[in-house]
Amino acid sequence: MNSCFEMPPKRKRVSANMAANVNSKPGCWKVPEVYKHHEQHNACFSRPKYRDGRRAKAVKVYTINLESRYVMIQGVPAIGVMEELIQLCALYGTVEEYRPLDEYPAEEFTEVYLVKFQKLTSARAAKRNMDEKSFYGGVLHVCYVPEYESVEDTKLKLQDRRSYVLKVARSRAKERVADAVHMESTSSESVPTSSRVFATNNPIFNSDKTGETSSFSHCSGFPLLPLPPQEYFHQDYRGNEPTEDQMGTLHDAVPPDVKQQKVQNFSSFSKDPNSEKKLASNPDSSVKLVPRTAHLEKNKRRKMEEATKQPVPDSGEPSLIGPKLPEPHKLDMNDQSLNTTVNLIRGTMKQVTSVPDLKPAEKKVKPRRRI
Amino acid sequence: MMKRNFSPETSDRFEYLQALVTEFQDSDSEEAKEQVLANLANFAYDPKNTEYLRQLQVTDLFLDMLTEKNENFIEFGMGGLCNLSMDPDCRDLILDSDGISLITNCLSNQREETVLSAITTLMNLVTPASQSQLTEPGILQCMLRFSLAESPRLHNLAAVFLQDCCTKDQVRQAEQQMQGQQMAVGIPLPKD
Repeated sequence: MNSCFEMPPKRKRVSANMAANVNSKPGCWKVPEVYKHHEQHNACFSRPKYRDGRRAKAVKVYTINLESRYVMIQGVPAIGVMEELIQLCALYGTVEEYRPLDEYPAEEFTEVYLVKFQKLTSARAAKRNMDEKSFYGGVLHVCYVPEYESVEDTKLKLQDRRSYVLKVARSRAKERVADAVHMESTSSESVPTSSRVFATNNPIFNSDKTGETSSFSHCSGFPLLPLPPQEYFHQDYRGNEPTEDQMGTLHDAVPPDVKQQKVQNFSSFSKDPNSEKKLASNPDSSVKLVPRTAHLEKNKRRKMEEATKQPVPDSGEPSLIGPKLPEPHKLDMNDQSLNTTVNLIRGTMKQVTSVPDLKPAEKKVKPRRRI
Repeated sequence: MMKRNFSPETSDRFEYLQALVTEFQDSDSEEAKEQVLANLANFAYDPKNTEYLRQLQVTDLFLDMLTEKNENFIEFGMGGLCNLSMDPDCRDLILDSDGISLITNCLSNQREETVLSAITTLMNLVTPASQSQLTEPGILQCMLRFSLAESPRLHNLAAVFLQDCCTKDQVRQAEQQMQGQQMAVGIPLPKD
């Protein structure tokens, strides 16, 4: 273990809102704190129909950092139903540990529980199926509580995620090659180069050809249909990989029925009446239809950066990355002229002591986005 | 015209994502843009979409967001990069677009979620070629300060970075360089 991780918890509170919950107990079963990600965000009702999902969802981005095999369940009626609650949780995967969070602020006559699943996928299924569901007369609110993870938990979570994504990417690449070969041998009249392009564009289509990936593409096809809970159990017991596709997290962005809404969607977005046909028949050219300005911007950014490049501050004094100290308090000398003098001196001191900063290179006017 | 037997599922998915990108570019409403950006960032979580998102140059779209003024844009863009950077192809694209400096700038963001996404993204970006840039003393010192943070998520993630992405010697060096400099006490850490 590195020495820096074993620093005694003598940290000073900085912000006032954090000062309320002083808590220096180590380990994962400590006194709970209320974090912002526990809150239920307000659902968004202003989405146009084509990207309005089946369930009301808040505008929120899920990352692996937010997910966890630790979940907190709020709104459990305080009528002694802990056993029933844990049995319900166990439907979604093995529960390793659980305990009531008595110290956590709860609504009257309700309890809050912390549940640690063995696998992240179980926690995901439980959250998706139990959140906002009624339970003995109460409505449950289930959220991930990654703050209960240990360093090791976090590390494993990230490793698992990375290897899963890598696995999918690898099988995609494999099928791309296999399909390119297949296409060339079957369609002799077609231009080989474009068939290759087609192959690269269709990893899902291609992946259906092998048993390996189809095992989980059968239930994660697009558009996603809501699955009865039984299917999740089935998946959970099979192993953790397959359920990756059905995270509740993606759900909010998945259109309810793409086919039905395609017409709407394109009537509102494409000026070209033929574009639907074009898009459907030729996705690679459709990429060119909508020119992304990012490339231009990127080049511009690069050029501007080169032009304004600062001397690299490598000379023993690395620039400070991360949060900066607050500005020193401005003294008020109660006199205009004295204040001016103080400011002048302060300015000079700053110039003399300041470290060459990286900032100016990045803080330039953003190039305008043109469509 | 060449005959192409697309599975309907595949082309639908691509078209849908493209429609999102188009709406993002065409829309003048901040609210609509936030929603679409969040959609795209969530789609980036599913590795099945990464290929399409890469073709639609969504990595650059997310990187562009990091210099926006709207904090939601920054948070969602950073979240999208965190999701996309798990994929090796997208990782290489981000590195090619000089994403590292844009992302390290997000380490000083006020929102914890943005900072967490930035740390995870930086970890995802580590390759033999990029390793030296990602473990420069400035970043390591920042991680050392984060590892002293009260927020368990922040100090856990910073600890993982220090364990996984650099050598113990580098950590020791960074610690020595920090001696005499301002200590972690009093530094404003990201708010919840």
